[in-house]
Amino acid sequence: MTAAPKSAIEFQDVTLAYEDRVILNRVSFTVAHGETKIVMGGSGTGKSTILKLVLGLIKPNSGRILIDGEDVTDYSDRKLGNVRQKIGMIFQEGALFDSLSVYQNVGYRLTEKSVPEHQIEESVRRMLRFVNMEEAIGLMPSELSGGMRRRVGIARALVGKPKLILFDEPTAGLDPPTARTICELAMKLRDLEEVSSIFVTHRLDDIKIMSSAFFAYGEDGQVEFQREDERLCLINTRFLMLKEGHVIFSGTDEELWSSKDPYIQDFLRAD
Amino acid sequence: MNKVVEAVYEVQEASLMAGRAFARSFSRPLYLREVIVQMDLIGVGSLLIVSMTGLFTGGILSLQSAKVLTTFGATSQTGLLVMTSMVREMGPVLAALMLAGRVGSAIAAELGSMIVSEQVDAMRALGTDPLKKLVWPRMIALVVMAPVLTIIADFLGALGGWAVSSQLMHVASSVYISSAKEALTYNDIIGGFIKPMVFGFIIAVVGCRAGLRTHGGTVGVGRSTTQAVVTSDILIIVADFFLSRLILAFS
Repeated sequence: MTAAPKSAIEFQDVTLAYEDRVILNRVSFTVAHGETKIVMGGSGTGKSTILKLVLGLIKPNSGRILIDGEDVTDYSDRKLGNVRQKIGMIFQEGALFDSLSVYQNVGYRLTEKSVPEHQIEESVRRMLRFVNMEEAIGLMPSELSGGMRRRVGIARALVGKPKLILFDEPTAGLDPPTARTICELAMKLRDLEEVSSIFVTHRLDDIKIMSSAFFAYGEDGQVEFQREDERLCLINTRFLMLKEGHVIFSGTDEELWSSKDPYIQDFLRAD
Repeated sequence: MNKVVEAVYEVQEASLMAGRAFARSFSRPLYLREVIVQMDLIGVGSLLIVSMTGLFTGGILSLQSAKVLTTFGATSQTGLLVMTSMVREMGPVLAALMLAGRVGSAIAAELGSMIVSEQVDAMRALGTDPLKKLVWPRMIALVVMAPVLTIIADFLGALGGWAVSSQLMHVASSVYISSAKEALTYNDIIGGFIKPMVFGFIIAVVGCRAGLRTHGGTVGVGRSTTQAVVTSDILIIVADFFLSRLILAFS
């Protein structure tokens, strides 16, 4: 008998409240290894809060949070340092350090670990190539557009090859082609690198593309963009819908689109 | 929360922040480069305003005291009055008030902007302790650079006093210099070091705390900046009273 695989992330009855305002109310879900969990919901429903709880930036009032089967709920900041090494976080506006160049931002994690400079440069260039931003290596964050900042933020989060990535509305406020580029980067990580992730969004375009297409290596070894069809169904992407701090839906895209819940129907009709 | 509880809570949080920053400063990485950068920004960056403040304060003190001393025929004591006032009070306090306005506000605004743009969260997510990386270098830089800047202010104050007394009040240079030398005691020199160190610590802790507790977007950054300057200024004056009392008690 083999042991059941541990989840990459597990929330058990997590509740968070500020004074009398409840942000999350007994939220439970799991993210399996290699799975992308798309978290949806209107503004202020606690979507981004979930990501901050995973990172330990805020602590829940009750409930447990497990990362790779390890209960990190009560970890101190110092102890969380090791856990955070496994996690990459992409913030809403990129959250790049204004005083550092793109190179220094992307290589930040390695610089902090006193990695030799030539190795830092190699990693930084590789990650910037992955997000198609190598030409911006010497620029400062103030010289970048919104989409470029997000892509540099993704490159920074990927340095050190974390197996768990948290996306906090990475496409919010971007034009459709740039938003699609960001989604495709998340899909490549999901399909080619087997990275587990939580992708917070309220954009239907993101939801549609991420649940209906994937990347795979073709016969010639090149990465190919493919659509889900009758032969192949994506099983590594699942959805979680929040409403006023409660989970009102958890399941696949088919279940989501066929849901009779009026809030979900209204949400899916909004586009 | 009423105002008193809020104030006590703030004192507690600021003390915890300073204590944690100090306690964690001994483990690696040490961020010595950050300390040097902050010393440059705070020390070299504030040199001009502190120098101007010292120079003209010395001049004003000389002008006013020589005028009064003329009444008693004691203009030869101008140097003594200028130096006593500069080294004991005006130098440390005015340099600290200038630093609070220039550096304290900049610290609060910088850290506040980092909070609202999630850069501090990003820092923590990347495994860096913001207290070590942001607070500790600023604390050390201010505690070291405030006395250095105060000494410069004191020196330029004496120079300004000499220029005014010799050129405008016609006091002989040798008389001014000998009375100025006479004014200085060891207690003044020790006090001249201790006071700015305490003031530098106050500016750093208040500025960092105001910045790190920022909320409410860009409006919040403005609010934090104002709070940092006002609180630092008040605390510097209050601390100066108690430090002066303490130093006088030992003299």
